This record gives sequence, structure tokens and C-alpha cells, in this order.
Amino acid sequence: MRVVFRILAFAVAGMVVVQAAVMVWAVAGLGIFVEDGGVVDSATMEQALAGDSPFPESVGLVLHGMNGMTVIPVLAVLLLVASFFAGVRGAWRWGLAVLLLVILQAALGLAGHSVPFLGALHGVNALLLFSAAFYAGWRVAAVDRASARPAVVEASGPVPAEGLPS
Amino acid sequence: MTTASRPRVLRRVLAVVVAAAVVGTLAFLWQTSRFPARFSVTEAGHFERGSGPRGALPSGHDHHGSGGVPGAAVTVDDLTEPLDGPADVARTLTARTAPIEVADGAELDGYTLNGSTPGPTIHATQGDLVEVTLVNESVTGGTTLHWHGIDVPNAVDGVAGVTQDAVPVGGTHTYRFVAEDAGTYWYHSHQISHEQVRKGLLGAVVVDPAPGGPVVGGREVAELLRDAVDVPALVHQYGPERTVQGVAGDLVAEVEPGRAARVRVINSDNGAMPVWVGGAPFRLLAIDGTDVHQPPEVRGTAVLVPAGGRADLLVVAPADGAAARVELGGVVAVVVGPAGAAAEATRRPEATLDPLGYGAQAPSGLDPREAARHLPYVIDRQPGFFDGKPGMHWTVNGRTYPDVPMFTVRTGEVVRMTIENRSGQAHPMHLHGHHLVVLARDDVRATGSPWWVDSLEVGDGETYEVAFVADNPGIWMDHCHNLPHATEGLVAHLAYQGVTTPYLLGHGTDNVPE
Repeated sequence: MRVVFRILAFAVAGMVVVQAAVMVWAVAGLGIFVEDGGVVDSATMEQALAGDSPFPESVGLVLHGMNGMTVIPVLAVLLLVASFFAGVRGAWRWGLAVLLLVILQAALGLAGHSVPFLGALHGVNALLLFSAAFYAGWRVAAVDRASARPAVVEASGPVPAEGLPS
Repeated sequence: MTTASRPRVLRRVLAVVVAAAVVGTLAFLWQTSRFPARFSVTEAGHFERGSGPRGALPSGHDHHGSGGVPGAAVTVDDLTEPLDGPADVARTLTARTAPIEVADGAELDGYTLNGSTPGPTIHATQGDLVEVTLVNESVTGGTTLHWHGIDVPNAVDGVAGVTQDAVPVGGTHTYRFVAEDAGTYWYHSHQISHEQVRKGLLGAVVVDPAPGGPVVGGREVAELLRDAVDVPALVHQYGPERTVQGVAGDLVAEVEPGRAARVRVINSDNGAMPVWVGGAPFRLLAIDGTDVHQPPEVRGTAVLVPAGGRADLLVVAPADGAAARVELGGVVAVVVGPAGAAAEATRRPEATLDPLGYGAQAPSGLDPREAARHLPYVIDRQPGFFDGKPGMHWTVNGRTYPDVPMFTVRTGEVVRMTIENRSGQAHPMHLHGHHLVVLARDDVRATGSPWWVDSLEVGDGETYEVAFVADNPGIWMDHCHNLPHATEGLVAHLAYQGVTTPYLLGHGTDNVPE
């Protein structure tokens, strides 16, 4: 389960990187389109989200929405479940922290459509989420490395279950 | 078992229990969100009768009716115009899967009607019996035609799975209705509409007023309209290109100096489009097919046309021989002027015309104080599952599709509706078969000409008070015309007491109206 936890944690961190990348890619494409004399109104943006766009980088907006609203939350829920069985003390806390930051991140992203300042916090929270997910994966990996040496002795014994609230 | 290992065992048990609770809850929500294979709209949601003096309907089930709206006696198929007699306007529209050419010779996969997209503009005169035969030659998902904004009888509303089955390849379907109201309308597929409309199954409808009829615009407007040039201007984006009447550029309307053009803007895309005029003042003559009462001349202001909405602009070609430009979002334009006259493009004015206070007050013919019921339509968004898909999903009155309200009314009632948008995004709300008069927005009462709509842009955080007369029995969609939003469940229905439908929706059928 530790491996699953580690993969999921790094997957969340990796998807946050993808989120940042596709968003800036889309905004850059939009900027060039406008610089070249293109005009954007609500109709243009909604058609872009529906699949018809005057600037191809708008796909980044669609990907950002799909990843943020579906892929990352699903990964975060699975991470929490995996944390219960990771056999690492405190893993559940990291799983829960990542899930809560994902929820906050989605809320800030949606709220940014109404209040731009909350969109700025969405960017800041992305760094917190990346750090939390990366640290969770790194910590479990560190436990794995530490336990790899005496593992010859312990491998036949019961798997320690230390991943739960004490 | 030693005492030392007990906490470990307990922890392990607790881990399994917590994990099972999380996974089990999600699995339950996932499973219950999946649509039934076959279902009727009258069985899927819950009846919402609203409040008011006649809020309760007799002989009603409380929820989840079986086989229709309480007291169902007629089906949507019965709700037709007289079927005999020759049509005044008869057209056959043949739908095909075909490549669409956009600028630079590029081709897109799309659909055509009679070999072109947009399809032919259908012209009728008020009172005409219109007969359109839809032939599906090669649209594999099946198709239909919906008459957007025309208050047709329910049987010909063209909604797959609600008022008919989608017309399969090789099939035909005939729509017959009397064009009772003059104005600017459009037609489009209401089967897999988020894709079929985008890819070309649409066209304009223009209904001219009956000769000798009243002109509500006032004497000056009547004078200008007498020899005005009529310019249908259906705006649609094909792939990357916004077009007007299929032209990715300027549509030229040749008009002599001092004469007027009636530019009928139709927004067939999924988001609102601002329209403004450079080089001349203009009047907003009609909204969603209904004339504005005595529209004043304005300049330096934009008209926001919602997705699905229409705006008729009366523009007089400048007396000095120059042209005026009707900017359609600043992407394409209608040029109004003599042959060869040029007009410079202009930027969108900062001001936006507010129809709430535009035009002269006049009786709307509807007294909201007589409203028999008051229906809430609250749009929000919440996390959860939608047909098995996790994400943030639209809700209507707190529920996710298909568990959305079936607004239930009786024929002849005046109905008030409060449309409140808390969802974080704007929604162009479209009620089929009826026109709504706007009473107030965010508690600010309407003070201009009666503002009748069928496609109303409800911005994030806005609340609209509207009213309508329940004078067209049937089962009618009341949905967001940002069509991807409709596929995501922003759909409700208005049903008349005693009406049911034999048509079914769901993965086990070929009907996918959104």
C-alpha cells in the first residue's frame, strides 16, 4: 500500500505542475491571439470550451477544468484511503491535508470567476498543495528506504499498521 | 493475542471501517447518480408546484409520478395545430453529414441543411401555416428541428425524447405550425444539440408582420420601417471562425443614405455577444422576436445578445454617403450603407443598454398580481456525481439532473418565476413555447417597454423576477442555452397538468436532447 500511497501523492503533485503549465500555456495563446488582432467575448470563450476555438491553446483551459474538477479530487480521495493502509505513522494526516487543500483549491478556483483576488489565492494555494503532496510522497519514500535495510528480518512478520489516528 | 498488539488490531479495523465508509459512500453516490436506461421526463424529477393562491394541484402525486403529470389525459402528440389544409410556406430541409468549408479552404466535419450551413432562412408572414419536412439523410445520431422562440404547439417543439423521437437516418418528420407572432427566430437541432448546433444544424426564421398590423415602435419608426432593408444576421462560430450568415467577415447590406436597415441579430453560439453600431445611432427594435414599445435612438452603447437570443437593430445609413457598422462582438460585422461605402471598425462602447429601462412603458397584457403560482428556479453548483461522473455539477433548486423540478401549471394561469443564479457563471435561460416578461432584476423594477424574452441572460449573482401566461399546454424544456451546460444537467421542464409524453430518454434510447 505504501507504493500506492507514494504513487498517488506524487501523481497529485505532478498534476498540480500540469495545471500550472496548461493554464499559462492557454493564457499565452490567448495573449498572442489578442495581440494579433483577435477579439474575445463571452461567445468566443464558451465556444472555445465547447471545442471550437480561434486559438488552439484554449485546450489548456479545458484540461485545467477537467483535471481540477475531476482527476485531482479523485486522486486525493484515493490518497486518503491509501494512507490508512500505508503503514506509516501520520500518513493519514498527510492524506487528509492533501484532500483538504484540493477542496480549498477547487473552491478558490471557482470563486475566482466571481472575485479575482480569490483567483490569486488559487495560485498561492497551488504551491501549498504541491508541497503537501510532494512531502507526503517523499516521506513515505523515505520510510521505505529506511525500512529497506532491516526488511530482511521483518518481511516475514506482520505488516505494521501504524497509519491510523492514535 | 497480546495486550500490546490490541491497539494495532484496533487501528487496522478502524482503518478498514473508515476506508469502507469513504469508498462505500462514494460508490453509493456514483451508483445512484447514473441515469436509468430508459425514463420519461415526467417520471424522472419531482413536481414543483410553487407557492401561491393556487399552489396545490388537485389529484396530485407528491413526487415521482408514475406515467405523467397528475391527472394526465392528453399526450404531447395531441397538442398540434389543425393538420389539414395546404401550407402557406412549405419547405423540405435535408440534413446531411458533410464537410464545412471555413476560411483558407480548411474543412471541418459538420452538418448541412439542403447542402449549406446555416440552413436556408425560412420567411413567413404572420398568420401563415408553415410546414417544414425534415429529412435525415446522413446524420448518424438522429436529429430534430426545434423552433427557437416560436411559441409552436408542443407536438412540433422538436425536442428528442420529450416531444418526439430523434429522426433516424432515412427518416422524415413534418413540423406544422401557424406563425402567430412576427419577429426574428431561429431553428436548430434539439438532438445531441451541444454538438449538432455547433457543427451546423441551424438556420434563421423571419416572420414578417401581417400587412396593416399595428406598429408599436411609434410613427417615426413605422416611417423608417416602410422601406427598410431586411437583414437576417445569424451569427455562428464554425471551428475557429465566427461568421454572420455564413460569411467570415463583413456582411454588406446595400442601403441608400437616409434609408434604414433592420438588422436581425441571432446569437446561435453558447455565450453572450455584445453588439454595437459605429458611424450611426440605432434603435433596439425588438428583443427575442417581440417589438420594443417606442424604442428611443441611442448611440455609444452596446446591446448584449444572450446565447440563443435575438436583437433587431434599426440602423439608418448616414446621410453623407458613408456606411454604419453593426459590430457583432467586434469579430464580424454588418455594413449598412450604399455600395462601396466604407466604415471604420469601432471598439465596444463602455456602456451597455439595459432593456429594464429602455423604451416606453405600455401594458404588457399580463397582470403579475393575478399570478396563480410562484415558481423558484435557483441555479447553483455542488460537488457530486452526474451520471456516474464526479465533479462540480449544476443544480436546479438544490438537486442534480435528472432529479430536477418539473414545474407544474394549469392552462390559463398567470405564473411568476424567480430565476436566481448562485452558480458562479452566467446562464442564458431559455423556456420553450412561451415568452416571459421581465418584472424586476435584483429588486429593481422594470420601467421601460415590456421586456419579453425567451432567452434571458442571468448573470452570476443576479435574480430575475419574470412572469408568463400558461397558454400553451404541453411539456416544455426550461434550460440553459449554453448547450454544454444543458448536457451537464442545467435543465428543468414546465409541464401542464393533464399532459404526458410517450417519448423516453436514457442510454437505452436514441434520444439525447441536450
